[in-house]
Amino acid sequence: MHNKEVFVRDTNSTGIESTREFFSRFLDAIRKKGLNEQVLMVRSSDMGIYKKGMAVKILPDNIIYQNVQDADIERIINETLISNRVIEGLLYKVSPAQMRIVLRNCGKIDPDNLEDYLIAGGYQGLKKVLFEMTPENVISDLKKAGLRGRGGAGYPTWTKWNITKNIKVAEKFIICNADEGDPGAYMDRSILEGDPHSVMEGMIIAGRTCGATRGFFYIRAEYPLAVERVKRAIAQCYESSLLGKNILGSDFSFDVEIRLGAGAFVCGEETALIASIEGKRGTPKPRPPYPSVRGLWDKPTVINNVETLANVSYIFLRGSEAFSKIGTASSKGTKVFAVTGKVKNSGLVEVPMGTTLRQIVHETCGGTRSEKEVKAVQTGGPSGGVIPNEYLDTPVDYENLQKLGSIMGSGGMIVMDTDDCMVDIAKFYQQFCVDESCGKCAPCRIGGFQLLNILKNICAGKGKLEDLTTLKRISKAMQKASLCGLGQSAPNPVLSTLKYFEAEYKEHILNKKCRAGKCTALLNFSIIQEKCKRCAACVRHCPSFAISGDREKGFVIDMQKCAKCSSCLEVCKFKAIRKE
Amino acid sequence: MPKLNKESLEAFKSTGAAAQDEYIKVGMSTCGLAAGSDAVYRVLVDEIKMRSLNIPVLKCGCNGMCYAEPLVEVRVSGLPTVTYGKVTEEIAIRIVEKHVVEKLLLNETIYDCRYQELK
Repeated sequence: MHNKEVFVRDTNSTGIESTREFFSRFLDAIRKKGLNEQVLMVRSSDMGIYKKGMAVKILPDNIIYQNVQDADIERIINETLISNRVIEGLLYKVSPAQMRIVLRNCGKIDPDNLEDYLIAGGYQGLKKVLFEMTPENVISDLKKAGLRGRGGAGYPTWTKWNITKNIKVAEKFIICNADEGDPGAYMDRSILEGDPHSVMEGMIIAGRTCGATRGFFYIRAEYPLAVERVKRAIAQCYESSLLGKNILGSDFSFDVEIRLGAGAFVCGEETALIASIEGKRGTPKPRPPYPSVRGLWDKPTVINNVETLANVSYIFLRGSEAFSKIGTASSKGTKVFAVTGKVKNSGLVEVPMGTTLRQIVHETCGGTRSEKEVKAVQTGGPSGGVIPNEYLDTPVDYENLQKLGSIMGSGGMIVMDTDDCMVDIAKFYQQFCVDESCGKCAPCRIGGFQLLNILKNICAGKGKLEDLTTLKRISKAMQKASLCGLGQSAPNPVLSTLKYFEAEYKEHILNKKCRAGKCTALLNFSIIQEKCKRCAACVRHCPSFAISGDREKGFVIDMQKCAKCSSCLEVCKFKAIRKE
Repeated sequence: MPKLNKESLEAFKSTGAAAQDEYIKVGMSTCGLAAGSDAVYRVLVDEIKMRSLNIPVLKCGCNGMCYAEPLVEVRVSGLPTVTYGKVTEEIAIRIVEKHVVEKLLLNETIYDCRYQELK
């Protein structure tokens, strides 16, 4: 049986040719040395390393070499494989950016098996809280840990719990907000599907500490698998005395149930969520009073995000210091990001606070799929803003992102390249906010609609320069006067794109041009006569019969008839169609 | 699952690392299912049964590499723990034939490989 495994991969290429060729040369060298029994050689598909040339990973030593040349093969075999020495000059030294705390069990345990969770240390934190700590101890530990709400606002969790804990009434509630409405964000879904007990444990700890009697999971109906897994987890907990009367034989009793959302983004806002559970239409209420004082059925209610609760169970499993030593001074712990968009490897990335955007987008996720430059990274969903390329080295934390005009939000991170139009992005988010506005207050209901109209006009080539001033005025009004966070933050994408990409807005208005080629109304198609071979393929494929002419005089596109569908561009073999 | 109490929960603390030594784990969260991991799971279960092999086929959640789903993690004694990505039903069959039975690793489908640390 072999005693070493060697994995190779050309990290500069997406194909398999160059990897195969290098592999053959390496394998030849292994055979010449008579080592093919001891060394197992494998071609890897992806090593999580990008743009570092030929990478060679050696197990069980766990050594990774980068930029390996053919000439290095002999050295690696002699020094590392035979003599077990590391070649410093070839080492891939970058430490892994990811740190799995919230996602500690995701991908490892079977979410439907309570025993798996117990073996991984599950409910040990709850045991400590129930039998070895007072609620005051718990609050103080939470304060030392420095956990801030992961739903986006970043409010210190210990403060919220403390307010509710100190109100002496018989009935109090804990709500887990699993409404996750941001487009492109699915961190909470993955946590609930992959490790529902970690959130359950956090909720029971919250219940014990704040003196609550009942807990609710408010899960959006668009997450049926998450609902199913949480349902099963609740049933398992009741079976094993982790919920219900006298949990684990203690004097604490706690009941949990699921309430489903029904497709309203605004119900992620805490007061609208509470209205929804109460059976009313999901419209927000002015605060104060805050839910921690007067919430569900007018009782003190703690509402926490899924990720926050998953962090709570970790803090009481490993201790507050294990958590507080990670991250920056003001933002402790890690954050899970759902990196999507024009990125090569989309997925969930959990990094300590303070990791830079460049590390996340380029090193962990491989940069853009198109190999074009990153134009901007959108964070915080419809409440957030864009962060342009020049700020990619910003360490991610609550304060830094706010300074740049965006927010951390719940963790959605959408990568955009030069094919994305910033005005179009603002219009997309504005459309979303208009669709999701509950309509209760005028600033959001009317202001949002007007903002959208202006953006639509700009994208259609009907914008005026004064529109930019109007956009800013309406935005400021919405921020100041809207009843809830949806209206207050709906103008953020508009203000943010205006701040960094005003030139693009002006181009749309003054030059009637969309440099990304996205806004179809502003597109102009023409035939490059020098390249055109007059084969008439485009004429045959044009669905609007917009191309006319003949083989002698050549062909011409009539922009009045053109539907901007790009069929001509796609079918032309001679690259003779210009789209601008 | 019997009712737990303080003492029986304490007992779990000293159990240490996961119970299974050898396993095949398939990512079965929404990202995996959307990519077709339920078919892969069924193929693996069937192949193992057909060959009367003694290795459990388990489910797990999303480990973050959503771009590479369906993901299948294989741990077999004598080899590092390997995560195969973009697994099709054909690759699933080869995983059983080559990796589990012949103790050889498949080329061009590995997305992660490591030796698991024992707790």
